[in-house]
Amino acid sequence: MIYDTIIIGGGLSGLVAGVKLASAKKRVAIITSGQSALHFLSGSIGLLSAVDGEPVSDPIASLEKLPENHPYNKIGAGRISSMAGEAADILKAAGIVVDGNAGETRYRLTPLGAWEPTWLVMDGIASCPHPSKCPWRKATVVNFHGYLDFFPEYVADGLREAGIEAECHEVKLPELVRLRKSCSEMRAASIAKILRGEVLRKLAIELNALGGDSEVLLLPAVIGLKSMQETEELQAMVKKTIRYVPVIPMSVAGVRAQSMLRNYFEKLGGTYFLGDSVSRGNFSDGRLESVHTANLGETVLEADDFILATGSFFSQGLVAKPDAIVEPVFGLDVDQTAERTERYDKNFFAPQRYMRFGVETDKEFRVSRGGKTVANLRAIGSILSGADPLKEGSGAGIALLSAVCVARKLITLN
Amino acid sequence: MDKTESTPHYDVIVIGAGATGAGTARDCAMRGLKVLLVERFDFTAGATGRNHGLLHSGARYAVTDHESAAECIRENMTLRKIASHCVEETGGLFVTLPDDDLGYQATFVESCHKAGINAEIIDPKDALRIEPAVNPDIIGAVKVPDGAVDPFRLTTANVIDAKRHGADILTYHEVTGLNMSQGRVTGVTLRDQRTGATRRMDADLVINTAGIWGHGICAMAGIKVNMFPAKGALLIFGHRVNNVVINRCRKPADADILVPGDTISLIGTTSSRVPYEECDNMEVTPQEVDILLREGCQIAPSLAYTRILRAYAGVRPLVAADNDPSGRSISRGIVCLDHATRDGVEGFITITGGKLMTYRLMAEWATDLACKKLGRTAECRTATTRLPGSETTDSDAPVSHGKRHIIELGADQKAALGRHGTMTADIEFADSNDALVCECEEVSVGEIRYAIRELHAHNLVNLRRRTRLGMGTCQGCLCACRAASILGNELGDRRQALTDLCSFLNERWKGMLPVAWGQTLVEAQFSSWLYQGVCGLDPKVLPAVRKADRTSAECDQMQQSVK
Amino acid sequence: MELQVKNISPNNFEQCIKCTICTVYCPVLSVNPDYPGPKQAGPDGERYRLKDPEFYDKALKMCLNCKRCEVACPSGVKIGDIIQTARIRYDHHRPGLRDVILASTDEMGSIATKMAPVVNTMLSLKPVKVIMDKTIGVDCHRTFPAYAGRTFESWMKHKAPDQTVYPHKVSYFHGCYVNYNYPALGKDFVKLMNAIGYGVELLDKERCCGVAKISNKLISQATRDAELNIRSIRAAVAKGQPVIGTSSTCIFTMRDEYPHVLGVDNADVRDSIYLASKFVHELVDEGKVKLVFRPDFHRRVTYHTPCHMQRMGWAIHSVELLRMIPGLELVPIESACCGIAGTYGFKKENYATSQAIGKELFDSILNASVDEVVTDCETCKWQIEMSTGVPVVNPVSILAEALDVEATRKANGL
Repeated sequence: MIYDTIIIGGGLSGLVAGVKLASAKKRVAIITSGQSALHFLSGSIGLLSAVDGEPVSDPIASLEKLPENHPYNKIGAGRISSMAGEAADILKAAGIVVDGNAGETRYRLTPLGAWEPTWLVMDGIASCPHPSKCPWRKATVVNFHGYLDFFPEYVADGLREAGIEAECHEVKLPELVRLRKSCSEMRAASIAKILRGEVLRKLAIELNALGGDSEVLLLPAVIGLKSMQETEELQAMVKKTIRYVPVIPMSVAGVRAQSMLRNYFEKLGGTYFLGDSVSRGNFSDGRLESVHTANLGETVLEADDFILATGSFFSQGLVAKPDAIVEPVFGLDVDQTAERTERYDKNFFAPQRYMRFGVETDKEFRVSRGGKTVANLRAIGSILSGADPLKEGSGAGIALLSAVCVARKLITLN
Repeated sequence: MDKTESTPHYDVIVIGAGATGAGTARDCAMRGLKVLLVERFDFTAGATGRNHGLLHSGARYAVTDHESAAECIRENMTLRKIASHCVEETGGLFVTLPDDDLGYQATFVESCHKAGINAEIIDPKDALRIEPAVNPDIIGAVKVPDGAVDPFRLTTANVIDAKRHGADILTYHEVTGLNMSQGRVTGVTLRDQRTGATRRMDADLVINTAGIWGHGICAMAGIKVNMFPAKGALLIFGHRVNNVVINRCRKPADADILVPGDTISLIGTTSSRVPYEECDNMEVTPQEVDILLREGCQIAPSLAYTRILRAYAGVRPLVAADNDPSGRSISRGIVCLDHATRDGVEGFITITGGKLMTYRLMAEWATDLACKKLGRTAECRTATTRLPGSETTDSDAPVSHGKRHIIELGADQKAALGRHGTMTADIEFADSNDALVCECEEVSVGEIRYAIRELHAHNLVNLRRRTRLGMGTCQGCLCACRAASILGNELGDRRQALTDLCSFLNERWKGMLPVAWGQTLVEAQFSSWLYQGVCGLDPKVLPAVRKADRTSAECDQMQQSVK
Repeated sequence: MELQVKNISPNNFEQCIKCTICTVYCPVLSVNPDYPGPKQAGPDGERYRLKDPEFYDKALKMCLNCKRCEVACPSGVKIGDIIQTARIRYDHHRPGLRDVILASTDEMGSIATKMAPVVNTMLSLKPVKVIMDKTIGVDCHRTFPAYAGRTFESWMKHKAPDQTVYPHKVSYFHGCYVNYNYPALGKDFVKLMNAIGYGVELLDKERCCGVAKISNKLISQATRDAELNIRSIRAAVAKGQPVIGTSSTCIFTMRDEYPHVLGVDNADVRDSIYLASKFVHELVDEGKVKLVFRPDFHRRVTYHTPCHMQRMGWAIHSVELLRMIPGLELVPIESACCGIAGTYGFKKENYATSQAIGKELFDSILNASVDEVVTDCETCKWQIEMSTGVPVVNPVSILAEALDVEATRKANGL
């Protein structure tokens, strides 16, 4: 089968690149070996919230402080702003409503009651321009009886620290109690599958009955697995404003984003190979000609250009061996520290060097293999080296912007 | 429960709540003595919590140390009775590899028989049938009555029984000095690690069961005991590689024992002398990891690719004979010192050396000596009285694994039954208390609450030792915040619980770091995203605890308990 | 260090990092809280079962074996295989009469075809259904597929001489359904293959693929059948003939369940076992074969991806073939499990779960307002037809119907 572009990896970065290319009438296939790290999205997308441990308030203005091989520097500080806007537009086109702009940090409330700086916040997720400028005077934090992955008391503590009055309530719905028949399965996604239709109406009645003088109800983000329909329905039935606080996995907002992006990509004519993995590539003259996959066997998939968006260790984009870090699909060159002991800091919370590992790329994100650049294979997203996505709060931002950057390049090339 | 309102005068103060200290407190209390057990951190925070968890048959010592071997097999049989919920009767093998001298086998078996250990030479093919994980190239195999013992459960059960017999327990209280009067020890001075407050406790007799740290306790009385810290590193594999203990049939050396322990398998150990100052912070080096793997693969080839969860190290308290200050003649046997006769200091006993297997015997010796010194005549009953959790005379009662009827229980209840034996009856499972906090080790909300309320669990590390919380595949990734949330609400201090959470994650990472490759690194990255990303947890911006106060978790972190 | 470089452990469950993604995609968990979910039933439970077989949970029999968990897993854990293997290893409950009857498709089929009119009438009578419901527990809502009066094999015997004239040859694994119930699909297959220049032969001997026996734990019989089938397949492959089937479930079973669940080695012939749509699509894609369609063929259809098709990653082949038919309008729907899972849905105790799982799919099929549903699996066909009333056809039948046979023969030089 022949495509214009084949993208390996179907998470945030791969899907956004796929959507942009497919929108430009390119024939695109995405090959992905399982569901992506997008499932753990916190409900917000960071651009840059700290450099070298120092918090930044204006991400764009702080780009110059980043190291030379940082993906943002390859994109070019001058283009970040416009690409950020375009990335947000792509999400919106797929139906993912986000709030925020690149020049201004927002703060999202976490399940442990911290305020995490970020850039784009998904619709309905509790956030504000700054904890000290929160629009609420009093909030009610609501949890479902028996649900362990949300910590209402801690969220209330976080609110109180920001000067907001807070109280906690627990709602007991028999339909949710039923989930507890299996002692491990009261999970975010399981709850979301139940909180629809009639059960949602019952929840609305419970929420309206809470009373009190708070202006906002804060719920765990466990509603609306496939679309925003349920959250909209619930808001329409409940008098007070409802905001959602992320929970520990699974992220319902992440599953929803994944599903919306994939559906949009397929609607644009893209082909999504789920549960398949590239087994080998055929290289010739410094170019990748075609790939084989585990499922398709002898069928080769050919393309003019390839994009590697297989993610970091979590998604097996990088694999750590005792003495080396490797890129397992093509054996690409990897930026890494050789010694096992030098990869890690003993403090779990300190910056970890392994987080910065990734495939080496040139200024156009082209990868190299055995020291030689592969002309038509580009890497995007968290497989890129040079950034500490966690400490910089830049993971999702890099995923989005490198995708837009590379997709733009491929559109103008051909 | 840790608070003693008034300060009564004790017959005995026991220092150190490892297995020996807990056992000594139990024995003393059962013989009617008024006992206080003090521990600077948590139960099992020292060597007790950092070994193989091997229920030695004694075979390992048979050739080199007849006395230890004979003690081991006697205690082995005793523990099967009194601590059945802590013991798994796996059986053990001593295998000879092609490179090993098969001639050693005959000497080995003969020595075993002399020590009363039922060692039986079997066909290597039968050994492979009994334990398919064993290296198929073995040229010899001997069957011995080894087993697995959970040191955490064993110690906790001893503490509970000591309490039931009237003992007082103080954890997170460090002995900062021995109170002396006219050349006699009259008690201890304690510092509460969390508040920094100090207080004096008086007793007729102080028993030092502080393991390697007993060296420092003796020094407080101006006494020198030649102790030599010997570090032993181990690796934990992600699941049961073997169901029978596999030993290498040769003179004891590095990494020649593979023990199945609960859901995992352990290979160990290395052995190296370390400076006394390093005892509080053992780190496993890459060289040690490599040795453990290379040697371990010899006895069970599948270790070459089995996922490793973590690495940890403990310190054996080796004691040199008194007539050998150079430390060359080291005994692994029990050393019971009456400092009155040895050093002219009355009211002070040190019991050390020995091993987890002989903790009860050590306690018995120490208590015998204590009774003699205090002029009491009570009989020792610890060898025949079952520990809490194993209290049953009905052999069909649900105390051990492999009983038909547990199949109808929920997964968490089955797991809890394995951990707490008959004490499981005290755990609440109704009304969503059966919800799993730790999914890998199947620890429920009810079990966590039970441990906090009944088992002296003040922080997440304590909870891990009582329940196996966070000991499984994900190393706390999914369960740590759930448990922290319950802990914060139970203790009424959420700030402290968050600090605990940070310490716990650091403690988990410390063990993962030496083996952080493959899925173990993936797990660590996932944990980082979850806690630092999604949850925004940052120890630097946590609300500061009052300066004088330390959380128990921070105290632990000073020592970085590892397993 | 050379050790620990590669995890080649047969204990594939170790790859699990407890991310819980699989639990989002489990169709059983979504409707039946008694089921512990793929994570607990699979990798988590396996650690405990290795410690002590008494930790085996009887609820594992609720697993549909749809493998959607495996498709979703980002770490490549074969969750479904772990669960099926555990059922075989630890569940000592012997299958009852009902399960034996349901699983013995071959044995029942060879008797029933001889008396087809009587059997068909009997099986469709209300009182008979009620009796079967009450006595052996076959749900009374179900209708057994009707038996044909003449088996496909006996029809093929007469056709054998015609098949020798073609330049290429393939062996056809027809499966029980085509043989006993629906020879028309087999005939369509022969028509299609002949039109593109391929003669069709039967295997020396063919037994049921064993999927029903595996799920009903008739393991020794299933293994015997599997070994016989693989011997026949080997003989065909030795003659240079690929082996092709028209049922995605049969093909999936022979390719993947044989080695993973039954321990029957098929490594030497696995790549020669094809599904018809994959075989034909590859030929067309590589330009080796041309298809010409009738201008007067018009149809609005949707393609339902059977779970095993999803696992094999081959839906693309069926979909691409359908897209080649000019008069065919293909309405995309989201991939979801129909809930039947072979014999699972026939059992009285599973009927409600089965229909609840399928509801999402039935709704989207009804919303798509199509003339026909196209799918590669016969049990999905029964389920969808019973639950939606929309007729369901195999892509081979659609192709055979839409094909201009003469023009296609000519285009392929016949």
